[in-house]
Amino acid sequence: MKRIGVFICHCGANIASVVDVKKVAETAKSFPGVVYATDYQYMCSDPGQELIRKAVKEHRLDRVVVASCSPRLHEPTFRKTVASVGINPYLFEMANIREQCAWVHSKDKEGATIKAIDLVRTAVAKVGKNVPLFASTISVTKKALVIGAGIAGMQAAIDIADAGYKVVLVDREPTIGGNMVKLDKTFPTLDCSA
Amino acid sequence: MVAAAQHPQIELLTYSEIENISGYVGNFEVKIRKKARSVDPLKCTGCGTCWGKCPTRVDSEFDLGLGKRKAIYLPFPQAVPAVPVIDREHCRHFTKGKCGICEKLCPAKAIDFNQKDEIITEKFGAIIIATGYDLLKWEEVYGEYGYGKYPDVITGMHFERLNNASGPTKGQILRPSDNKSPETVVFIKCVGSRDDARGKSYCSRACCMYTAKHVHQVLEKIPNSQAIVFYMDVRTPGKAYEEFYKRSVDEGAVYIRGRVSRIFQEGDKLIVRGEDTLLGRQVEVKADMVVLATAMIPSKGWDVLSKMTNVSTDKDGFFQEAHPKLRPVETFTAGVFLAGACQGPKDIPDTVSQASAAAVKVCQLFTKDEMATDPMVASVDESLCSGCGMCENICPYKAIEIKTITERIAGKQISRRVSSVNKGLCQGCGTCSVACPSGAMNLNGFTNEQILAEVDAICL
Amino acid sequence: MSLTETKEWRPKIVAFCCNWCAYAGADLAGLNRLQYPANVRIIRVPCSGRVNPQFVLRAFQRGADGVLVSG
Repeated sequence: MKRIGVFICHCGANIASVVDVKKVAETAKSFPGVVYATDYQYMCSDPGQELIRKAVKEHRLDRVVVASCSPRLHEPTFRKTVASVGINPYLFEMANIREQCAWVHSKDKEGATIKAIDLVRTAVAKVGKNVPLFASTISVTKKALVIGAGIAGMQAAIDIADAGYKVVLVDREPTIGGNMVKLDKTFPTLDCSA
Repeated sequence: MVAAAQHPQIELLTYSEIENISGYVGNFEVKIRKKARSVDPLKCTGCGTCWGKCPTRVDSEFDLGLGKRKAIYLPFPQAVPAVPVIDREHCRHFTKGKCGICEKLCPAKAIDFNQKDEIITEKFGAIIIATGYDLLKWEEVYGEYGYGKYPDVITGMHFERLNNASGPTKGQILRPSDNKSPETVVFIKCVGSRDDARGKSYCSRACCMYTAKHVHQVLEKIPNSQAIVFYMDVRTPGKAYEEFYKRSVDEGAVYIRGRVSRIFQEGDKLIVRGEDTLLGRQVEVKADMVVLATAMIPSKGWDVLSKMTNVSTDKDGFFQEAHPKLRPVETFTAGVFLAGACQGPKDIPDTVSQASAAAVKVCQLFTKDEMATDPMVASVDESLCSGCGMCENICPYKAIEIKTITERIAGKQISRRVSSVNKGLCQGCGTCSVACPSGAMNLNGFTNEQILAEVDAICL
Repeated sequence: MSLTETKEWRPKIVAFCCNWCAYAGADLAGLNRLQYPANVRIIRVPCSGRVNPQFVLRAFQRGADGVLVSG
């Protein structure tokens, strides 16, 4: 039997002023597999993450859903949080109730709350089907190719080379320097370009 | 420049072009074409006898046609490496089968007419694209400035060459038409930039500042000169930039807010007709020279490189960064980074910062011997796979290969073909899982089961 | 679907959005506080190429009135 925990974030007033977060958390408790649901002001904050960790231990959760901002923002944050209490980071899902709900339906609080519930239900349904995933490793050739030997290419090549790695700097022209060497003095200091 | 050339960790491949890029982050395989220089760089001492005696003179690309070069040439005296190349399109040995004077006179016997293009293949862990910019060909669009028929209507880059001590005029600002020193120089900003109709919609970012610099140089170098700037806005958002612009105004530059509607020749003067929008009246200037601040566009060949690296570009051909604010030097192709004006017009301080940022990203990658891959990639259920190859054909990242596996079935050894996913190349798009007719291909993290569960739940 | 509880009829719309463009665009709409009706539900996919026609059919089967694939 899956033991899913659901955490609804207020994001200060960003979400909570539009979405009825208490109602969302309350409704989430009835979803299949959900054994714990709560809400909190800032899930991504230190106390917020600690709340998740404590709940995982107390309620023996094996999967986690956080309903907050876009996963493009904080998915890596929460993956680390659940990993720190022994849950595979891929047994985690997010419901985007800020960018794609509260912020875009700010004049329709009822509709936004209904939508938030739907989005949480969807994330719960998905996380139920998640399986642990593990990163594999690939080898790295420690040599860089820089295409174009103008000011950008030269600077990048020198910085990488100074760090101790090999660099091949390619340019289609017979000389390096690019557009920059055509210039006379350069602003704002008026020193020479070579 | 010399720092890059002399660095023991940097290998320079000039006069070389990228032929092909395959592989993936940590393991790129790149074919590079070393174009035939016709000069052996190991023997050449850079003495200059060859280009001194070469009888063929052609327009110098480096000086944008303002000066001449020979058929065997160094682009400019301080070029790195100081090894000349033979321009086979113009060299008499190649066009007429005669001459060969450079070969006869070279004291190091470095000339090699039989040299061929050489293609080398090397492995790299990371790639930085730093291909820079070209200038918009204003002659093709701006009829009111004469479509390039007036020799004294030049671009800012031409002006740089005239100003440069190693340039065609040894640093004197002279009119290309008659080599006279101009008294009144008109500058026109935003030629092609911020012009949706005929040029580009964006601001080229460096022009306001280099025009302020040009103005300063005219007033400094030419006694009793006048510098007049037609502008749309003056944009100086950089450290010490506003002060630099103010200084050029204090030195006597006249800034007129408005566009130029026409330039035409009258005697040896260029008549510049425009509008002063602040005073609401027509202005006419008798100028000796007009300098256009033309728009930066991506360097030629961006489209080919975009295909080779799988890095997309914006509508104008500038390479697309992974996030405009948070990942400005990364791309969506892991292991490929951007530096400089290839990502968008920028000035030297911004270019240098971005180049160092890209270098750090590369170093981050190199600090580990092995890197972790994103596990959200495609995976094959070999027991279901029929080896049809649909996924191999459709994969945009060339991450799928068909391999042969051997199995024991009912006591017999049999071999059959199945798909195999390269986890380094796979970017996790999942197109293969849709193409798969037998349901063998799935995408970790976005499996068919997961997405269907989402559809069911969202429609409830 | 809970949407039917509202008084007037509104279509249920399911949108499949590519993580790298359309989904990011929907996030951007949020950042700019652009408003649109609350009856659109977005499912994040890694690429519009990941959208199997089966997913679209399933959405209609389960009562969606419109499906948007964007990427």
